[in-house]
Amino acid sequence: MQEDKLKHRVKVISGFYHQKGRMPSFSEIGELVGFKSKNAVFKLVANLEKMDVLRRDKKGRLIPHSIGQPVKILGIVEAGFPSPAEEDLADTLSLDDLLIQNKEATFLLKVSGDSMSGAGILPGDMVIVEKGRTPKNGDIVIAEVDGEWTMKYLKKRGESITLIPANPKYKPIKPKNELKIAGVVTAVVRKYL
Amino acid sequence: MIDVQPLTIHSWPRAIMHIDADAFFASCEQAIHPELKGKPVITGKERGIVAAASYEAKAKGVERGMRLFEAKKVCPDVIMLPSDYETYSLFSVRMFEIIKRFSPDVEEYSIDEAFVDITGLRRIFHNSYEYIAQKLQETVEKELDISVSVGVSLTKVLSKIASKHKKPRGFTVIPGKDIHIYLSFLPTEKVWGIGPNTSAFLKKFGINTALEFAKKDEKFIKKYLSKPYQEIWHELNGRNVYPVVNESKSEYQSISKTKTFTPPSDNETFIFAQLSKNLENACIKARRYRLAASRLIVFLRRQDFRDIGIEIKLTRPTAYTAELFEPLKEGFIKIYHPKTLFRSTGVVLSGLMPEKDVQYTLFDDVARIQKMAKIYTAVDILSERFGKHTIHHGASLPVKLHAQHQGERGDIAQRKTELFKGENKRQRLGLPVMNMKV
Repeated sequence: MQEDKLKHRVKVISGFYHQKGRMPSFSEIGELVGFKSKNAVFKLVANLEKMDVLRRDKKGRLIPHSIGQPVKILGIVEAGFPSPAEEDLADTLSLDDLLIQNKEATFLLKVSGDSMSGAGILPGDMVIVEKGRTPKNGDIVIAEVDGEWTMKYLKKRGESITLIPANPKYKPIKPKNELKIAGVVTAVVRKYL
Repeated sequence: MIDVQPLTIHSWPRAIMHIDADAFFASCEQAIHPELKGKPVITGKERGIVAAASYEAKAKGVERGMRLFEAKKVCPDVIMLPSDYETYSLFSVRMFEIIKRFSPDVEEYSIDEAFVDITGLRRIFHNSYEYIAQKLQETVEKELDISVSVGVSLTKVLSKIASKHKKPRGFTVIPGKDIHIYLSFLPTEKVWGIGPNTSAFLKKFGINTALEFAKKDEKFIKKYLSKPYQEIWHELNGRNVYPVVNESKSEYQSISKTKTFTPPSDNETFIFAQLSKNLENACIKARRYRLAASRLIVFLRRQDFRDIGIEIKLTRPTAYTAELFEPLKEGFIKIYHPKTLFRSTGVVLSGLMPEKDVQYTLFDDVARIQKMAKIYTAVDILSERFGKHTIHHGASLPVKLHAQHQGERGDIAQRKTELFKGENKRQRLGLPVMNMKV
């Protein structure tokens, strides 16, 4: 009986410590265990000190000892997987990260023509365009040819440049004058629902 | 040159860069409408006045603030576009992001202007300040497809003089030993912070140019001029006084929200609804920055562009719309005239202070205020999730039921009318959309 009471008292003090991260004051212990007199608290503390549950520093303040160790609760079996920690999720990409490399230079464009249908780009699709990127052979580019804007494959052979559609209905374009490239298509997005 | 002695011999005690976008709104439009490049473009169609003009339009005599028909008169082939603030804001944020790749000390001075402290960066770039600034200018132009003018000098005031020296696409570097060259032909009123009154005052002493002002001795400056002008005097002499304030704008002296509607109206309920919506918008912004206003200014603009306004002192600093309705109504009744046509309304929240510094007075109903805080927290969370004005005050309803601008088509930015699947009127993807047929 006596032991049960003591166990309970240790449990509430330890609970306080683990919850707040500090030891309770004497008056707080009083409240926790239901003592009205400080003297009773004092006796309890002396008792606990003897049992090495807690200790006191030079100035008499309480410091945890055995209750400082992680609580082991009998009856509950530690099992299963810890909940997903943030570190484990740090190595995932959002759709934004996947689709956009240089955020500051990325623009959207709604497709209206079907000249790139063979590349899976259909009218109404949204393409993601990066400006300021040097286009490589085979890239899909947004370009201005003789006053008209178009989206085509870029074919470079030495100095000569050809814009190639992905639809047999259209012919490859060899720009006569200067070719202006507004950006490189890095992705296409089509939302169904 | 009469006076060839330099103001300072130290070339770069500090290196401050000022970046100023050229005809920013018009440039953004040209960037997303490439077919408009090289053409005279203006924005502000929905307001009836020129909000921004491209350099091609400026060359034909179009000026900011002109009425549309005047712009059409001086430049018949002008292309008029409605303002698309969402796109401009996206470009603005991107411009600052690019600048921050170069230096962490960036002051976002306005939507299209920034000061950057690049002192000490020569080491990591293995190059001169001139090169760093040039690289930055190139990057903005390459990635955003808008041009900016750049000035580099020893202080903020001087860097601003440098960026204004040549525009558009200007690039001007003023090292310490060259300051006097740039100031010698610059009238004092062209200096940042010196207004027409001060400039007229300086003329009484025979000071006409910035150089004459900079060359005056300290005794004279201290005797005749107040602190802000003493500071400008130091800055002109290459002595750094104004720091580059390295944070995005979170401090506001005031928050103002104005909206024009067409056609002009004399309907009391409708005009008050316009005010009410402006008030809601201003409060949303104030709450976002955790500020509370102690004064409210209400104003109406008549069809003939004349303004009537009134300032109301609030009993308690607040950013809760419900608490401001009473004063708003009070002010509105005083300035509204029936049978007068109004074209726009506005509210200004001023005397702003951090919300956490607001103290309850003896007469405040604390319980009610705390309830209000709860309500508006919920409103703001809902707005974040479902778009602005998901929950709004009944008084603003007439605005919602009415198009802001009636009549001519094309007064709403393309961005808001041509939506991608999944976008809606309230929320769109946070990326600028190019407009060309491909």
